[in-house]
Amino acid sequence: MHSLYEIETTIKRSSRAKGLSWGVSEEAGKAVRVLEQSKFQGLESFKRLVDLGLTKLNKLLDVGQSDTSNLCPIHFGIFFLDQSHNKDLHRIHRFKNINEPLLILPFLSKSAKSNLLYFDFKSSDLNFTISPGDIFFIDQNVVPNNLSDFSLTISTQRKSLYDQSSWDYLYKLSLETFVEETEEKKISGAGAGLTDND
Amino acid sequence: MQIDLRKPELVMKLDRLGSFHQSKLSFLRSFIREFKNWEFQTKEFNLDNQGFGHIVYVVNNGQKQYSLICFSNHIEDSERSDRVIATKWDASFVLFDGVPAKEDIERLKANVPLQEQGRVSEKELCLSRANKSIRVFEHVVDKLSKGIQPDTKLLYSVGYLYRTTAVYGSGKFGLADRIKIQDREELKGPFRLEMMLVYLARQFTFDVVNHVAYFRSPDKATKLSEDIARNLGIGNSTGLGMAPFIVNHPALLNQWIIAKEKALKAIRSILSVSQKDKDIFESYLSATQENIKYWKTESDYQKKKNKQLLKDLDSFQNFYSSYTLKNYFWNSIYEWIEANTQSECCEFIVSLMMEVYPDIVEPLSYEMSINEDEYFDIDTSKTIDEVCKLIENQYTWLLNIDFDNKENIFNFWYYSKNKQEPRMSDRFSEEGSELELPLAIARDISALYGDLKSYDLKRDLGYYLLKNQEYRHILRRVLICEKLPYSEIQDNTISKTLIPVDMLRLKLSFFGATRFDPRSDRWVRITMYQGAPLMKEISTSNDTWSYKKIA
Repeated sequence: MHSLYEIETTIKRSSRAKGLSWGVSEEAGKAVRVLEQSKFQGLESFKRLVDLGLTKLNKLLDVGQSDTSNLCPIHFGIFFLDQSHNKDLHRIHRFKNINEPLLILPFLSKSAKSNLLYFDFKSSDLNFTISPGDIFFIDQNVVPNNLSDFSLTISTQRKSLYDQSSWDYLYKLSLETFVEETEEKKISGAGAGLTDND
Repeated sequence: MQIDLRKPELVMKLDRLGSFHQSKLSFLRSFIREFKNWEFQTKEFNLDNQGFGHIVYVVNNGQKQYSLICFSNHIEDSERSDRVIATKWDASFVLFDGVPAKEDIERLKANVPLQEQGRVSEKELCLSRANKSIRVFEHVVDKLSKGIQPDTKLLYSVGYLYRTTAVYGSGKFGLADRIKIQDREELKGPFRLEMMLVYLARQFTFDVVNHVAYFRSPDKATKLSEDIARNLGIGNSTGLGMAPFIVNHPALLNQWIIAKEKALKAIRSILSVSQKDKDIFESYLSATQENIKYWKTESDYQKKKNKQLLKDLDSFQNFYSSYTLKNYFWNSIYEWIEANTQSECCEFIVSLMMEVYPDIVEPLSYEMSINEDEYFDIDTSKTIDEVCKLIENQYTWLLNIDFDNKENIFNFWYYSKNKQEPRMSDRFSEEGSELELPLAIARDISALYGDLKSYDLKRDLGYYLLKNQEYRHILRRVLICEKLPYSEIQDNTISKTLIPVDMLRLKLSFFGATRFDPRSDRWVRITMYQGAPLMKEISTSNDTWSYKKIA
């Protein structure tokens, strides 16, 4: 088995060898390292991308660009890492086609954390949400090598994922840790003066 | 009185960094302080009569163990080389996480002597190799086998019995990644495991000479005197491989430098200094001047520096002995050395001042590591104008360098395909500059600055990067330097006048190396742990051994 250091360094150098800039190559190395550390087959995914020809793939430079087919996931990820602080992007975006979508995960995850954002990825084959929280799981087997007609919605809104009745029940339970307040306690327990306007 | 940290534009010049000396902050010393209460023992001693086989040393605190497995092999004299091209060594070492089982030793025996060509696993933490110093090894064995101690004049002129030629850690060749050990309390300082490996390897060198001498003449042989052994360290031969490290790890470099600068600032800020503290300093000063006489080098560059150091120390000692205590004594001392001595002496005195104040300095050794990933991401919401101003403030020194002048872009750094090691060559007469490593920091920041100025300054970096990913790596550095002002060497690392050995010296001084002996402008021999307590003495040692007089 190779160490994560070896994986990161090898991916960085091979990206550079295939014509990516040093800065982008550094990002690619870190992304594959994070995937491998998280038990995703990032290295295999990257290898398939190299086979496709890294510099031949379409770079995402503008969410409104006319051609969003054959997208490079590294540049797609870096686009949202770099641009997501811009509120104009906090909406739904639609794209034609992306290669090796697994590789976008580390970038979206990082952007979600630093900008407190939610990324909702939707397509007929794969749906997932990336949040600023730490827990993230996706079944590697359901991530295809290529995805078509997908959308990415960026939002700052956290959604409520529970019933109001569940909340009401738990909140009521939480009150049981409180001490019932008497008139006497209102004066002695709070520790404040009797007049609050002094 | 308000005393500030020394400014990065003074400290981060290569001439200054290349004059740094070991100090209380050095990693080999903080290793000994951290591990002095652990038990050090020889677990297995399995050498034949010629001294070939393996030894296992274990460091143990009752809950945790680290083991050094040392393999001693026979090689022909003609096969012995310090250069990275070597494929055989007298000794090879691997630091194991825990205590190795028999199967581990068998597996490692097949791989560790091969070094880069072998394969280790995540159970292993560091890897190294060493060669005998032919000058002294046979002499020591011969004398000991005859029952007499070796010639200390010869011994101390070399300073060691073996010389390591590389120490690898952090994921190289399959070793454990740093993430595996980064949260361990005992490993909070930088390079702790590498320092452990080298310390135990030093013990191995003594055990081997004693063993071989004994079997050469069991009736007559004696053991190397502990006083002599203590005054021997372990050598190290280092080439350019170390230089890119300090450029590629700007956040870490900042931590090392700022720890030293904080220590100096705190000492200069002491209002009232006692006569005792003044005397302690003076005793270190006189002992160490004697030790400098053992620093032997064939390098004209280093000879000149050593000569100037001795001259400056003489004039400093005259000044110091007649200078009476007054408020902010150390600040006055510092101002005098800054004004009257060269960098080599100035930094030497700074290290010496740190000796007097362990309570100030030693806690800072825990601040010398950093999570570099926290500084990796680029804040793309910054405006282009903000970044231009950052460059104007932090990189003033490079804005007037003419990068159209060949002298200023003379060298390029690259990885050698055969040796997988960094190299530096003349870009105008040698091939390969199209594969240049991103170590031309000054040139690239200058280019970035020029390019940024051609954009609408109100736009943000996100906008800029859409079309300029070729500057991504260098933008990252500029933003790191904003937060960590001692992260950048303030010299042109590709200029014709660059002295790479200064970059090696910077890193080696933080390791705790002494006796810098450059063999060329890009290769240096040094000594580590000279004067350090022996393995059996470590629990009773204090941290004053660096400035004890040798012999």
